[in-house]
Amino acid sequence: MKKQKPQTLGTHKSVSYAKWGYIFIIPFFVVYLVFTLAPQFLTIYNSFFENYRSGLKQIGPNFVGLENYKALFSADPSGTVRILKYAANTLILWVAGAVPQFVIALLLAIFFTSYRLNIKGQGFFKTVIYMPNLIMAAAFSMLFYTLFSRVGPIQALLEQWGVIDASFDFFSNRITVRSMIATMNFLMWFGNTTIVLMAGIMGIDQALFESATLDGANSVQVFFRVTMPLLMPIFVYCLITAMIGGIQMFDVPQVLTNGKGAPNEMSRTLVMYLNGYLTNKNYGMAGAISVIIFIITGILSAIVYKMLTKQYKEPQAQHRQRKGKVL
Amino acid sequence: MKKMLAILLAALMVLSLAACGGNKETQPETTKGAESQAETQAPETKEETQPAAAQGKVFRIYAWNEEFKGFFEKYYKVPEGVTVEWVLNPSDGGVYQQKLDEALLNQATAADDDKIDMFLAEADYIGKYVDSDYTMDVTSFGFQNAPTMYEYTIKAASDANGVCKGVSFQCCPAGVIYRKSIAKDVLGTDVPEEVQAKIDTWEKFDAVAAEAKAKGYYMTASFAETFRAFSNNCTMPWVDANNNLQFDPQITAWMDQTRSYIENGYTLTAGIWDAEKTNEMFKTGKTMCFFGPAWYYNFCMTNAQDPENGCVGDWCLVKGPQAYFWGGTWLLAATGSDNTEMLKDIFETFTVNADVLNKMVKDDNQYVNNTDVVKAFAEDASYGNTSILDGQNDIAIFYELAKDIKWENHTNYDQLLNEGLQNKLQEFYNGSVDEATAMLNFYNYIGEVYPEIAVPAK
Repeated sequence: MKKQKPQTLGTHKSVSYAKWGYIFIIPFFVVYLVFTLAPQFLTIYNSFFENYRSGLKQIGPNFVGLENYKALFSADPSGTVRILKYAANTLILWVAGAVPQFVIALLLAIFFTSYRLNIKGQGFFKTVIYMPNLIMAAAFSMLFYTLFSRVGPIQALLEQWGVIDASFDFFSNRITVRSMIATMNFLMWFGNTTIVLMAGIMGIDQALFESATLDGANSVQVFFRVTMPLLMPIFVYCLITAMIGGIQMFDVPQVLTNGKGAPNEMSRTLVMYLNGYLTNKNYGMAGAISVIIFIITGILSAIVYKMLTKQYKEPQAQHRQRKGKVL
Repeated sequence: MKKMLAILLAALMVLSLAACGGNKETQPETTKGAESQAETQAPETKEETQPAAAQGKVFRIYAWNEEFKGFFEKYYKVPEGVTVEWVLNPSDGGVYQQKLDEALLNQATAADDDKIDMFLAEADYIGKYVDSDYTMDVTSFGFQNAPTMYEYTIKAASDANGVCKGVSFQCCPAGVIYRKSIAKDVLGTDVPEEVQAKIDTWEKFDAVAAEAKAKGYYMTASFAETFRAFSNNCTMPWVDANNNLQFDPQITAWMDQTRSYIENGYTLTAGIWDAEKTNEMFKTGKTMCFFGPAWYYNFCMTNAQDPENGCVGDWCLVKGPQAYFWGGTWLLAATGSDNTEMLKDIFETFTVNADVLNKMVKDDNQYVNNTDVVKAFAEDASYGNTSILDGQNDIAIFYELAKDIKWENHTNYDQLLNEGLQNKLQEFYNGSVDEATAMLNFYNYIGEVYPEIAVPAK
């Protein structure tokens, strides 16, 4: 009996609830391994093979090394490397939509959380600005297509007002097509960003805003010196997820231009290019494009993360160092 | 208050979702046809066929639009105990072919009721399926090609060894369908024979286009309107024996014609299926000529049949500058079908059942694949098409045109090459790119969809 007591004490001490934590996250990791990680490696593996279908005949898979990548980065007779053109399109389309998205979302988030403005009916506004996100991108694109088509109401209206002449076609003009895509992406996503940023701002201690105001800081100063630095982690998260979504942009331009990326493939994105190769199940080329998209995403995310967090981490680090020296 | 708000917003959301739900047709869709068939009246003379014990319960059909489905539901009585499942995928961009290929490749391992029993194929790619083991010999289930079927429809559905794998329910000779009132204004006559005499070569046709333009009309409403008239007269296939892309003189002739038509404003930059084109078929339309076969009436000319804004009776059909045919829907028997009796029955209904075929001509303005039936209409002086034409006997014209249809120079690549060429050139015609860029985009497109085809390098 005497011996038992310390033993039980000992086991009590070593009871670890952490194992339950691990058990609970097992399902996620299993699903992740099977449905995300394994396909990722398979994609990379596939990108080294010639593997497509000619009608009902399967060609390959034959190992071709880096041929698919070489083909992707070789210039066509006019000297354009098409994948770079599509990458540039994707970037332009994303930036054009993301800049207004973040500016408006930040503004709205600040208005909604401001204790000074104290906006009434927030629930209503928040729901309404989130609503475009509930519409399927394909349906939204069809709507825009119908509105702006050659026989659509906008064309007729603008013609009547004399803004455009009858030969104008929204879908054969690079600027209008890109603007439409950017606008749709902006409309669909600014509500989502607003809500996430609001949550971020509400997570900041109100006392900080109040004390800054008491110290005589104006709203602009409060925004840049207090809100932004403290919001940075959430902001970076939003930016990176938006960027990943942007690089994978597909549905809106695909449906809007009926898969053509018109005009002159100026609104064709990387994933639309990938989709083109899937017409004949060309897993080799499609895999190679996926790998390139993966690399681009990784690099851009790293850059954004480094750029935005460095600025706000360093002063803290310096501060701590100084403190250390004093101590 | 909060509750009210929540309910209001939820209602709004549901409304907006419902609103877009109505907007977009979800494809692919699988519809069960059994119930609707029960209501439609079956032709009285059709003999009842009961499925034998060995026959399957589900008859699965792959198709790309509702056209044949409509006729099927109207004229075919499904045997009791069999459910018909339609799987529809749009043809655009090769989606139908992709989905069909996928299903056919899984055909061997699919459960009996999930197997495809029959699928539809178009002239542009029928060879791909006919020359494969995924379609079966029609004689294997007792169907015999009737002597009344058009020769080219049998040839198209036969593989290299002459084994026939399916039938076509239509024959598609095509001509020029013109607006009488506009012809009267431009040419001074709207009598078919006289109009035909003025547009019986492309040179004359081009000259009339200039006259039409001078009077404020368009000759055609789409840059691709005349495409089939040229492309179905090609003397060489899209690719040669070594898989090199080649341009037939007919294709280049179409490109030359279209370039000048666009420059001169004789036609519109709309695509062949675009609303901008079909709106020209309203009473207010300014376009004189449309190119099409019999299926064109109901499939493309619904605007002309609009009770308020349409112009039924203001149309006539002539041969035009060049005889051609366009499209056609073949019904192919899928290997592995467990409903072979029904297959045979369907094939017979739509190729030899005179009662059904007569109704299809009379009520649906189809040009059916049965020379006896169409000949009777062609020779019947009292017959006239009044549902869209001015009472002219269009079958007589189609009957003459159909005699010359030949099946040659087709490849399995035709659909996406024809579609791609039109799509890429459209950008040149609407002024977004120059012609060289458009062609380059076409070659790049081929590189994506058919890597095995060699395109001309610069």
